[in-house]
Amino acid sequence: MIRRPNQTRTIILLVAPAFVVVLVFFVLPLIFLLSQSVTPKEGGYTLTGYVDFFQSPVSRIVYLRTLKLGLIVTGICVLMSYPAAFVLARMPARRRTFLMSLVILPLMTNAVARTFAWLIILGRRGMVNQTLLSLEVVEEPVRFIFTETAIVLGLTQLFLPLMVLPLVSAMENIPDDVLEAARSLGANRLTTFLRIVVPMSSDGLVLGATLVFTGSVTAFVTPAILGGARLLLMSTLLRQEAVIVFDQHAAAVVAVVMILTTLAVNLLLRLLRVRQV
Amino acid sequence: MVSRWMYISLVILYGFLLGPFVIIFMASFGANATMAFPPQGFTLDWFARVFETSQFVDSFWISLQLALLSTIVSLVMGMPVAYALVRFQFAASGLVETVFSAPILVPGLVIGFAMLNFFVLLGKMPVMTGLFIGHTAILFPYSVRVISASLRNLDPYVEDAAVSLGANRLRGFLLVVLPNMQAGIAAAFVLGFITSFNNVPVSLFLSGPGVTTLPVSMLSYMEYYFDPTIAALSTLLVAFTVVLVQTAERVLGLSQFV
Repeated sequence: MIRRPNQTRTIILLVAPAFVVVLVFFVLPLIFLLSQSVTPKEGGYTLTGYVDFFQSPVSRIVYLRTLKLGLIVTGICVLMSYPAAFVLARMPARRRTFLMSLVILPLMTNAVARTFAWLIILGRRGMVNQTLLSLEVVEEPVRFIFTETAIVLGLTQLFLPLMVLPLVSAMENIPDDVLEAARSLGANRLTTFLRIVVPMSSDGLVLGATLVFTGSVTAFVTPAILGGARLLLMSTLLRQEAVIVFDQHAAAVVAVVMILTTLAVNLLLRLLRVRQV
Repeated sequence: MVSRWMYISLVILYGFLLGPFVIIFMASFGANATMAFPPQGFTLDWFARVFETSQFVDSFWISLQLALLSTIVSLVMGMPVAYALVRFQFAASGLVETVFSAPILVPGLVIGFAMLNFFVLLGKMPVMTGLFIGHTAILFPYSVRVISASLRNLDPYVEDAAVSLGANRLRGFLLVVLPNMQAGIAAAFVLGFITSFNNVPVSLFLSGPGVTTLPVSMLSYMEYYFDPTIAALSTLLVAFTVVLVQTAERVLGLSQFV
């Protein structure tokens, strides 16, 4: 690394253009949003927007529902990914590369296309209903769309890769010797998995959980298609306040609550990660 | 250590990840407009319908332009930042890193909403400009991170050698560093392009009359029609993505950057 006296100038020249762009075009709109959330139509500065948000049963239910579904989706993703990620991490490199590209593929396809599949699966005349009807389990088609189950399924499919990827890269770093040592010292497979693999991959778990949870509580496409206006989450509530009710003040409050929630989760899990190291 | 039930979990995972794609694929060839499953008959009509629907064709071109433009701009502006972060140690580097990763931490829908209020409603900015700014902002974190990663893999002494042999810093960067970062730049480009091309939350609020991105127009089409046209379009997009991602993964090892 070459150190030179005018290094500060070089750094400023390198960073400044993009930095200014982000400040003006990204940070400034967010500050404006924040100010909108504390200035109601009647004028003045007040936090009543936030008080109303948490006091109104409608928005409070939406908020709690969003958090609840986020937790469920995160839990399902952990359970589905953990053993599978372990298999992937232990595979010969060539096969793993191929299988990992299949994990990435859904991540690279737009959410509308991926959610659309659930309409075909869960719709009135969809796969599940046709099966249930032909097996005579039910007499009438069951309504799956616009239920929490549908949203959970859609979100899980959407965010699974974000749990698998960090888990696999964390598990790749566990040496084979450690596992063999545990086995030869008498631990059975389950014990080895729970007491060696899980603690040694907790970094990946925390990262994956952060990504899946924040993704789930802010996703728009899936709740819009599978929940609609009947089953609002925070994102669809924001859209409704802004476009249909046309109350920019209330919409700004919803938006700021969304930001604060994701920031809080990120911060909390980052603390968790630091403590483990 | 790897037991049979772990393999079963792998099968379940892949079934869940890829099953929906199989279903979309099958539905896009079904002759029945009501989308009953399993699809009956075989037809390519829905693919023809995709190209006849001007809403899709127009928004495809907008998405393509938007993705190319915002990816290139975020790369060109993000590269110097990545270079400064990797090659120099300075007091404000933590702040710079935080600011450039912020667009990932803020929900896309909120970014779109804030930008709509600030630029379009308050600043009377044209719709396309608003979309371009929004997409560029959300791509910064990707370009800075991927370029940083690829710079870190490059031995700084190679560049220092060029400088000590008489090249100035800029020439050293252009002639020595840049050619060595081709893979990283290409990976950042593919990642940025796909992120922008697929984005719904940021585009949703920023789309305006006549200027809509492809995913947003798919979403609004679905509010009115429920037929296999969306399935056919999705099949085309998936095929396009498979080719792009498989090529990028083979050539560049995309997964290490995601």
